[in-house]
Amino acid sequence: MAVESEADERQLVREAQDGSSAAMARLYSLHWRSAYRAAYLVVHDAAAAEDIAQDAFLAAVDALDRFDRRRPFQPWLHRIVVNRALDWARREALRRRVDGAESVFEPLPPPQEIGGEMIAALKELPAEQRAVVVLRHLLEYTPGEIARMLELPRGTVNSRLRRGLDRLRESAEGEQLAEGQR
Amino acid sequence: MSDGKLSRALWEIPIPAPPDAEERGRRIVAAAFAERKSGRSELWGAMTPPTSEGRSGRPIARLALGLGIATLLAALLLSPAGAAVRDWVGDVVETSAPKPEPELARIPGGGRLLVQSAAGPWVVQPDGSRRLLGDYEEATWSPRGLFVAAAEGRTLSAVEPSGTPHWSLTAAARVSDPRWAPAGERIAYRSGAELRIVAGDGTGDRLLARATAPVAPAWSPSGDAGLAYASGDGRLRIVNSETGEVLATAPALPDLFRLEWGAGGAAILETTPQALRLREVRARKVAPGPALGAGRMLPLPPGVSLTGAALAPERQAVAAVVTRWRDRGTTSEVLVFAPGAAKPRSLLTVPYSLGEVAWSPDGRRLLVAWPGADQWLFLPVGRGKPRAVADISTAFSPGERAASFPRLEGWCCVR
Repeated sequence: MAVESEADERQLVREAQDGSSAAMARLYSLHWRSAYRAAYLVVHDAAAAEDIAQDAFLAAVDALDRFDRRRPFQPWLHRIVVNRALDWARREALRRRVDGAESVFEPLPPPQEIGGEMIAALKELPAEQRAVVVLRHLLEYTPGEIARMLELPRGTVNSRLRRGLDRLRESAEGEQLAEGQR
Repeated sequence: MSDGKLSRALWEIPIPAPPDAEERGRRIVAAAFAERKSGRSELWGAMTPPTSEGRSGRPIARLALGLGIATLLAALLLSPAGAAVRDWVGDVVETSAPKPEPELARIPGGGRLLVQSAAGPWVVQPDGSRRLLGDYEEATWSPRGLFVAAAEGRTLSAVEPSGTPHWSLTAAARVSDPRWAPAGERIAYRSGAELRIVAGDGTGDRLLARATAPVAPAWSPSGDAGLAYASGDGRLRIVNSETGEVLATAPALPDLFRLEWGAGGAAILETTPQALRLREVRARKVAPGPALGAGRMLPLPPGVSLTGAALAPERQAVAAVVTRWRDRGTTSEVLVFAPGAAKPRSLLTVPYSLGEVAWSPDGRRLLVAWPGADQWLFLPVGRGKPRAVADISTAFSPGERAASFPRLEGWCCVR
């Protein structure tokens, strides 16, 4: 069954609540990629992103009986993913500050692949800005929805989004300039 | 940059993902769902808390490992649940991980390893040196380690361990799960849902079965033409790979993810996220060919999920890796089921999830992946000293922005 609407997804959730392994497997297949990608773009660590995506689905299974069938599943899952990714990024930043441990990130080689510059620019943003950029431009939530997901005032979401995008655009323009000078 | 361009870029940026990450998560989530359905709350009632560091968060794992091991082991061994675990297993040989060595300087017991990273398969020589074979998605040893069968998209290739391609064929659908016959003369592989056979020199490619489950087939270790596979209708079948004749069939376990024919040909091991079944394979009395016994479910501790299992090369011993989730955090255990023993022996208990397990070619050691600590563990099954090797991700991710933990494909051929 292709999930083309929220109604289809609600049907899958209903079937999963009724015990259908196939429905749960379908929900997993539909959403793992976006969950992993969102987590990775916030934490920039593949192992942590795998954990975060996995934990989000485990939390979904755990809370399935309590889940309100009238609500869409995807934003609920993404809310868990992004909040956990933020928790991880904050703890990691704190750890590096406290014990002066070496960076968890691999040293960045000169960008060669498509999108390498974007990854590098995104990584330079504070985790809070990365999270709202990912929610807005990868997962395509509105600022109002993001505010509810992260339990933030809408103005805070807007300002984080604006600052994040400004920095990404500066980075992109710098690259275009450099490209033009080559 | 426009909003549309940014959205496209965020979707299209290549990002690293550990091999099998999606599949690994699928199994664990399926196991969680099955537990929920069965009403057993032990596993999922104490699920990983919302702010957990996660199953294999390497940096956090490193940070927490010192305190974590002590705390978790104390909790495991001193709590009532821990007491139950102690009562349940037959014998606890070792309960803490050894201090890791910084790099793999030699493979304990010898042999060569085949390891799948995000960049492709690697061959690791006995002295620890390693070579990336190329851009392939999965790989398997030939019986004597002279070649590797490697799959990428719709292409199946035979590659020398030096990385030199020997031959390739293009199938009609995506190639997966290649397995080289013990006598070396054939390779079985899946193309889409089909099971196909090709000669070891790349000739004579042909269809053997149309509908298979997504599980790698398993050759009879006896060197005959027997091949076991899981069919799309949930059956375990043994076929003659030369004639296509079905020699034996029985119901397969639901959610099967691994099939192995070992113990010198005397047993087939079925592994699911929740169960291990060892089926005896014996000669038929009235006609030539194998017969499948009823099978014995190997007893697992309550509330665990299987992340790996392997049948010993020459005897009916089974190594299993189980993971349990509790409110104090995830712990994993390596168990060995000896032939005929009522209870398994516990070799090791560690925090976080363990991954695949492989027997050494001589059956005296186990290699266990520990993604959470970014280590490989070499564990003697009998006497001997366990060894751990650190920084596995980095070793198999040179030049990559984000190192990812590789998947262990095989331990081959002491020569």
